[in-house]
Amino acid sequence: MTCPLPERIPIEGFTYRDMKIDKVPATPEFKPRDPSLVPAKNRSVVINPGATCMPLGAMWAIMGLHRAIPFVQGAQGCTTYVRYTFARIFKEPGSIATASFHEDAAVFGGRKNVIHGVRNLVVRYWPDVVGIVTTCSSEIIGDDMNSFLKATKKKLAEEIGEERAAAVEIVLVNTPSFAGSQVEGYNRAARSFVGSLAEKTGDASDKVNIIPGMTYPGDIREIKHILKEMGIEATVLFDISETLDAPLHPPKSLPYYPEGGTTVEEIRGMGDAAATFTIQKEAGSAGAVLLEKKFGVKAFNGPMPVGVANTDMFVTALAGITGREIPKTLIDERGRFVDAMADTLHYTMMCRAAIFGDPDIALAMTRFACELGMTPVAVMTGSPSVTFEEDVEAILEEYRHLFTVEPKIFNKGDIFEFEEYLRGCNRLDLVIGHSKGADIAAECGVPLIRVGFPVYDRFGYQKKAIVGYRGGELLLYEIVNALMSHQYPIDRVQQ
Amino acid sequence: MPLTNLKCNKCLPERGEHIYIHDPENPVIPACNIATLPGDMTERGCAFAGSRGVIGGPIADSIDMVHAPVGCAWYTWGTRRNLSDLFPWVAPDRLANSAFNRRFCVVTDMKEENVVFGGTKKLKRSCLEAIRLFPEAGGLVIFTTCTTGLIGDDVKAVAKQVEAETGVPCFTSEAPGCSGVSQSKGHHEFNTSFYRQIQALRERRPELKMKDEEKTPYDVCLIGEYNMDWDLKMIRPLFERLGLRIIAVFTGNERIENLIKMPDAVLNIVHCQRSAEYIAEMFKDGYQTPFIRVSLFGVEQTAQALRDVAAHFGLEEKAEEIIADETARIQESLEFYRSKLTGKKVAIYVGGPRVWHWIGPMEELGMEVVMGACTFAHEDDYEKINARHKGGILMIDAPNEFEIEESIMETKPDIFLTGLKEKYLIRKMGVPTVNSHSYEKGPYAGFSGLINFARDIYQGIYAPVWKFQNGIVKPVMDNLPEGEEVSCQ
Repeated sequence: MTCPLPERIPIEGFTYRDMKIDKVPATPEFKPRDPSLVPAKNRSVVINPGATCMPLGAMWAIMGLHRAIPFVQGAQGCTTYVRYTFARIFKEPGSIATASFHEDAAVFGGRKNVIHGVRNLVVRYWPDVVGIVTTCSSEIIGDDMNSFLKATKKKLAEEIGEERAAAVEIVLVNTPSFAGSQVEGYNRAARSFVGSLAEKTGDASDKVNIIPGMTYPGDIREIKHILKEMGIEATVLFDISETLDAPLHPPKSLPYYPEGGTTVEEIRGMGDAAATFTIQKEAGSAGAVLLEKKFGVKAFNGPMPVGVANTDMFVTALAGITGREIPKTLIDERGRFVDAMADTLHYTMMCRAAIFGDPDIALAMTRFACELGMTPVAVMTGSPSVTFEEDVEAILEEYRHLFTVEPKIFNKGDIFEFEEYLRGCNRLDLVIGHSKGADIAAECGVPLIRVGFPVYDRFGYQKKAIVGYRGGELLLYEIVNALMSHQYPIDRVQQ
Repeated sequence: MPLTNLKCNKCLPERGEHIYIHDPENPVIPACNIATLPGDMTERGCAFAGSRGVIGGPIADSIDMVHAPVGCAWYTWGTRRNLSDLFPWVAPDRLANSAFNRRFCVVTDMKEENVVFGGTKKLKRSCLEAIRLFPEAGGLVIFTTCTTGLIGDDVKAVAKQVEAETGVPCFTSEAPGCSGVSQSKGHHEFNTSFYRQIQALRERRPELKMKDEEKTPYDVCLIGEYNMDWDLKMIRPLFERLGLRIIAVFTGNERIENLIKMPDAVLNIVHCQRSAEYIAEMFKDGYQTPFIRVSLFGVEQTAQALRDVAAHFGLEEKAEEIIADETARIQESLEFYRSKLTGKKVAIYVGGPRVWHWIGPMEELGMEVVMGACTFAHEDDYEKINARHKGGILMIDAPNEFEIEESIMETKPDIFLTGLKEKYLIRKMGVPTVNSHSYEKGPYAGFSGLINFARDIYQGIYAPVWKFQNGIVKPVMDNLPEGEEVSCQ
């Protein structure tokens, strides 16, 4: 290996290009992957999984509470990897505590870890909420968390006094990773927090509850905008819009706590609300269903308001349950969105889109792609869902008359299978999904429209809305502009 | 007062044992490499991360079979920037977008029923399938995690069977996340089990050893170098120009077949002396291969490394020639950065070794290291830090978030060299950072890499953004003394 660098290194340094790194082929020539092992159902091994583990979803949820810290009952990696993932996505600090499981915990159980750990956390951070998140290891060794938490509360009361100990809400979320994905972890957090904290005081309120699911700060802000325009007051559970998108200004005090997040008081009040809207059915409906069962708060579980029809459904349901009119401002936003669809239709019609992500986002993007006249050639969910196939089929049925090819649905598979399928498609125009699709999009020579969890390889996506009429309009422009950059020479885009 | 404590630890007196201000007259070694206090918001990762992420991950052509529920594999997929040039084909005329070691994430995806009934059958099937799917793989490494460690799957037996059936070398690294006190346990486990397994493999299949006629007296291994952001492009040519042949790098961008030949080297050059000195020690004991410890960051240290290695082979003159050429190549740019960075204060928080690797280069750039911290350092790392620093540095072992915040207030660094998780917290406090695990825009190693490193530090400190962080400054006109009027002239 010789050093190809210039005679003098300039002050700007040098890049990969200057180093001339040649790709070495791993085999002399291309050979297709063994076709009998490409379908995920034919094999035990999972390659390029479409989802990660349950504790992440629970931690995501807890990060959206005011002065709340997740406490992970497991090994240090269970905390560190999730913090790492949040840092990649949000470019924000994410404070999560670990029970620091070592061999002794594996042998004797994690009782000591949680009792001392919560104590160590509380006396330094004075949080309002500690969300206890379990992991594979604590679930396998069979930690009796309810009795441990009783002991924890007792220990806290002895050390800091009854009153101060009572000011810290400790809520348990059971999330053994082998039993589901991050989506289920979020769902369980919704059920645990609502189940532990929500009350019904009897004062009927016309507020609504929003459970945003694993949507980004930009989406939560857009939903708040719609509610404000309609004059509806709401409690957003797990509101990460400020906690994971905090401004840079000198800290007022230590330790660092971002502003915002849902308060314990707000969660208590959720039992009095007129309705609960779950933005992502699979991530949060367990909380909404519980509120309905326990307190009679009506549950609306999805679909995610992306595109025209889904946003119409969301806005109409909001208007119906609260008796509010849909204001002219929203009608105009809708009109501008539809106007943009009319302006861009020659770029979007008959495009072939491959769509993947968590079930709710995959469904919402499939409907939106259909509204744009695209053919969803392949639709894949990384987190298996019981209703996914029939939900996708319902959308396809409505638009099938426009398709140029029959779509294929992937449930319970992995991204590897989906990628191999896309390689075999003789035409593809774009991939819509998260950052794990960057390789396949590049290999197919098409743009990746980044949506869903996780997006970590670009800036700003966590701040942009894709929900609502305004979010839909901006998402449409992103899709159209990407197609223009990839497919159209400059002299075809000048009028 | 060598040992000290921070205000945030009033209720955690144990942490006082981990924090000191270095005094060369009275050097101390803090409590280190011991279990983290539960709930103290540590930055540490787990043993699995050390094994799979740090050491296994950089190997170019291995199938990294994570025997676990899906998360442990997902989190180690394409994260650390351990780059490689070995690319699989995706079409007759196209190579993949990412190298083989980052393109695929392979996992047994343990489910509840596997946890209850054991996962070895699933693991064996998964290994056989993966080997069929990826004929380009030179080997397979099975990594266990908390789940498969706790249920006690016999993965060594599976590796043996799979190798017997396929002929593909199969290795295991059993470092479940809850074993040991930090990722350091995973480094150690990978080192020792890999050593033992290649030793056994060479006995079992002698054809995998280097043939005598292929050997040269200049065959060396580079140990503990993981090719972060193509550091190897800076390092390899230096030794090759010296006339040495690097037969294997443990493990950056290396092929399994070369790793099996490691005992055939005449000298091992050890860069990361925390995560990989174990295996060098074992080669010394088992094969009488001597090793030399080197630092390959900064001008002085890289030059010293070349001199030390050259002396072993009697190539001193050649080393001086290389050092002169490489120094000339960067001289002008280095002067520029020295002029910009002299007097600036720097804090370094990384795993361990880079704190002592980087004290010298920071001083070469004219900066003062005011604070240091290590995630998983052992006593010998602190000895090296103490030996390299002139005194006055605030050192923290296995820091937690609160301590990092307070230490910034105490030491007021102009730049903080640290990892991804910590950097956003530090930036929120108005202090620029440089990603010191995977780098911003590396490589940073060797002579020329220092210019990239200095540039990224300079960019951090001199970016105009920091002057805006204190909010809206009153417009100049409002600041005029009373009675004075502004006129248009």
